[in-house]
Amino acid sequence: MAKVLEGPGMGLMKKWGIHVPNYVVVTSAEELDKLGQANDWLKQGKLVAKAHEALGSRFKLGLVKVGLDLQGAIAAVKEMIGRQVGSITVSQVIISEMVSHTEEYYCAVKSVREGSEILVANCGGVEVESNWDRVKRLLVEIGQQPAHEELERVVKDAGFTGPLIKKMADFAAKLFTCFDNEDAQYLEVNPVVMRESDGELVALDAVTLLDADAKFRHPDWNFQFAAEFGRAYTKNELEIMAIDSKIKGSVKFIEIPGGDTAMLPAGGGASVYYSDAVVALGGKLANYAEYSGDPPDWAVEALTEKVCSLPGIKNIIVGGAIANFTDVKKTFGGIINGFRKAKADGKLKGVKIWVRRGGPREKEGLEAMRALKEEGFDIEVFDRYTPLTDIVDKALAGK
Amino acid sequence: MSILANKETRVVIQGGPAGVNAARRMAEFCYLIKQPLNVEAFVYPPEAGKTNEIPYGSGLITVPVYATVAEATKHHPAINTSLVYIGADRAMKAGMEALDDPHIKLVSMITEGVPEKDAKLLGAHARKLGKIFNGPSSIGIISAGACRLGVIGGAYDNLVLSKLYREGSFGVITKSGGLSNEIIWICSQFADGITTAIGIGGDTYPGTDYVTYLEMFEQDPQTKAVVIVGEMGGDLEERAAEWYGAQKRRIKLIGIVSGFCQESLPKGMKFGHAGAKEGMKGEGSARSKSEALKRAGAIVPPTFGALGPAIKEVYQELLKSGQVKEIVEPTSLPKLPKTVEEAMKADEVIVTPLIRTTISDDRGDEPYYDGYPASELINKGYDIPHVIGLLWDKRLISKQEAEIIRRIIMLSADHGPCVSGAYATILAACAGIGMAQAVAAGLIMIGPRFGGAVTDAGRWFKYAVDNKMSVDEFLAYMKKNVGPVPGIGHRVKSLRNPDKRVKELVAYVKSLNIKTPCLDFALQVEQVTAAKKENLILNVDGTMAAILVDLGFPVDSLNGFFILARTIGLIGHWVDQKRQDSRLIRLFDYLVNYAVPKRREVPPLR
Repeated sequence: MAKVLEGPGMGLMKKWGIHVPNYVVVTSAEELDKLGQANDWLKQGKLVAKAHEALGSRFKLGLVKVGLDLQGAIAAVKEMIGRQVGSITVSQVIISEMVSHTEEYYCAVKSVREGSEILVANCGGVEVESNWDRVKRLLVEIGQQPAHEELERVVKDAGFTGPLIKKMADFAAKLFTCFDNEDAQYLEVNPVVMRESDGELVALDAVTLLDADAKFRHPDWNFQFAAEFGRAYTKNELEIMAIDSKIKGSVKFIEIPGGDTAMLPAGGGASVYYSDAVVALGGKLANYAEYSGDPPDWAVEALTEKVCSLPGIKNIIVGGAIANFTDVKKTFGGIINGFRKAKADGKLKGVKIWVRRGGPREKEGLEAMRALKEEGFDIEVFDRYTPLTDIVDKALAGK
Repeated sequence: MSILANKETRVVIQGGPAGVNAARRMAEFCYLIKQPLNVEAFVYPPEAGKTNEIPYGSGLITVPVYATVAEATKHHPAINTSLVYIGADRAMKAGMEALDDPHIKLVSMITEGVPEKDAKLLGAHARKLGKIFNGPSSIGIISAGACRLGVIGGAYDNLVLSKLYREGSFGVITKSGGLSNEIIWICSQFADGITTAIGIGGDTYPGTDYVTYLEMFEQDPQTKAVVIVGEMGGDLEERAAEWYGAQKRRIKLIGIVSGFCQESLPKGMKFGHAGAKEGMKGEGSARSKSEALKRAGAIVPPTFGALGPAIKEVYQELLKSGQVKEIVEPTSLPKLPKTVEEAMKADEVIVTPLIRTTISDDRGDEPYYDGYPASELINKGYDIPHVIGLLWDKRLISKQEAEIIRRIIMLSADHGPCVSGAYATILAACAGIGMAQAVAAGLIMIGPRFGGAVTDAGRWFKYAVDNKMSVDEFLAYMKKNVGPVPGIGHRVKSLRNPDKRVKELVAYVKSLNIKTPCLDFALQVEQVTAAKKENLILNVDGTMAAILVDLGFPVDSLNGFFILARTIGLIGHWVDQKRQDSRLIRLFDYLVNYAVPKRREVPPLR
């Protein structure tokens, strides 16, 4: 799943015929000033300014300002750009026209096993969140399109009346079309409002999650995916992501500040069991990491260097199940090189390394790890006869 | 018995190199269980019509490659299963093609990163047809003692260690490919091993879920218990729990779910497989899944470490109740033949080398010339002539010697377009021939009449000096036994019109105050021969030869200096013609003396 910010998300909805307010995304007050001279709607109407970042509760943080004129919006941009919230620095602001309305509604499409589900409610904003039972659903099986009568039935069921039934059903149909054609996994518009000027339903906000795996068939996805983490990726994380994107197999790395148990396990499945084992014993994870699919040794080496550079770590868990086709000797070669580099750089002082692994060329790989003892590493090496997560028990036994 | 994959399973693999690799692994398993290879065909349009060679034991099996699944099943009607190793952008088309083939009942997709929508469409299509679509991102399916689909099970040693050569009593279903092997291993250590293990893939919406396979295991009398390894995210584990709890089931269910660490991670931080994402409203957490399984009556060990003992307990109960019997292991199993490299490493074979080298080795991270790393030579200021010394004469020559060689090469690099070598290269270049071939055409001209006299000149001057011959003795010997003296004589140059290259070389070498017995002797020979006939001077070949012999280079290497030097010129001529985009050339009739008979009648053939 890949989160898309409001601007590009609204862009996709507009592409599929959904009314969205006029908006621009700017990176400086000067840019907005110039845009104001070129666009009447910026000069004439009332405006909303929102920090265009993957941040929750922007309103509370003062990163949403409403009812502005152009000068007010320019001032808001000036104020917001550069604001530091956690690890995120605000670098973009989205300015949209205020749409005067009285009623707010809710519409979403989400991915489910059978296909997708269309959700509608005749209330919106915070009201729908506290009245979730008012949301009505229509299941659309994969490969199918929702019939208009069915949509109207759900909309009616949700409490819409009169001419609004057809309008809301149309809106939901368009949102579904957008979802279906853009390989979305979740689209949510909250609120949907009726524009007083022309009576059209307009999407005032967009939560957009796309299937990053489908990027190959969407040449117009020219926007960046936002971090799904509620924080920006760190430099080290981005470096590993860059490697991950160009190799066979994969390497993954996420930093968790404050932990003391560093993770360097193999496999998307086993890595989580290792993390679970650390947490179950009261340990504190310093990171999440994983390599799999027989990645090249240099990629594993780069990952190892990042893991060794984590501050304040006491143990490194080089765990792994019995590999199917990942070459243990080769990938361990990368880890060993990474360890050597880290040690040469003065890292790994007082850090104990725990190894458990099986798979193709396991004997050779484990032997090479054991030999590190002679180079002065504090390392314990176990083979397949030691159960998967027992090295975590051993590592944290002193706690 | 087993489910999904058995001894009757016949496979088409859709894909290229990754598919061929899987076929190799499958052949290893077939060899272990003494069954014929279960892969009958490949489908891979870029290589249609070719064959792939799959090692089986110490032999090779030829497996044909087709352009379409329909062609493959037409020629191999026993095929009933497809494994898809096609890239994510074409995986759906490949999967649909297989599902639509009436012969095929099971499609397992290994491809990772398949769009969710495509996976759902494939799953729905299979259900409509009453077939099984397994995956995407599936490591494969293995039935102990019967059938392996994909690389699941790992290396040969692991197949043996995990007792996959014969049936056990436990079914395994995992999302994670890496953990499938671990669970198979645990089942073989803590119990009697597996019946069938299935990787369903770590995506959010796999084509087939736990329930479908649990139903199958329930119908398979050999399977007594099933281990499922789940992950947070989605609702597959809850559905499995619901199925298990719905009525009394014959099989025991042991379940474990990962993702408890999520509870103590910073909010919003998630990791693991694509499917390992908690639902929008908190459903799908490891805890809720574990609770659901427990409520349904499944055995849920608290940690992964407790899984082995839990499996052991179930096995002991099965033994006690007589549902399973202790298995007597076979005394011997086929050993996978080693490759020559592996056998050599294990000191099991002696191989007589085919060739022997004494000059260079690049098996390390860079080439070593006669033992010296190339980078070190560069960094310590050595030059191309030193590399020539190392590779041609296995010695590190001095700075002075290197300078002489450098001058020889510079003076011999080219001699204009008219000489045989350059002319041949130009002729070839004009005919549109590539560089390597055109330069080779020029090099072919090097021989007794053009540039190829260096070795012979060196050989005879050295012969004379080694045997302390006088000039007269030498000339008499040559006249009697060899013929004209190589290195003496020039087509146009003479004593009065000397070859400037020779003068330059001789003057430089003489200025160094080094011993040059061959050069001295060659100059003495010239005195005598040039007195007899003006153009019988020491030519550049003879000069180079005498000097290089004096430097100690082996006689057989001497022509190499001319060949090397002139290659520079020949490349230049080829590039020059290319740059000018020269046209094809041919001789004009007026440049040919047609000394041929007049036209005459052809007599009747007899």
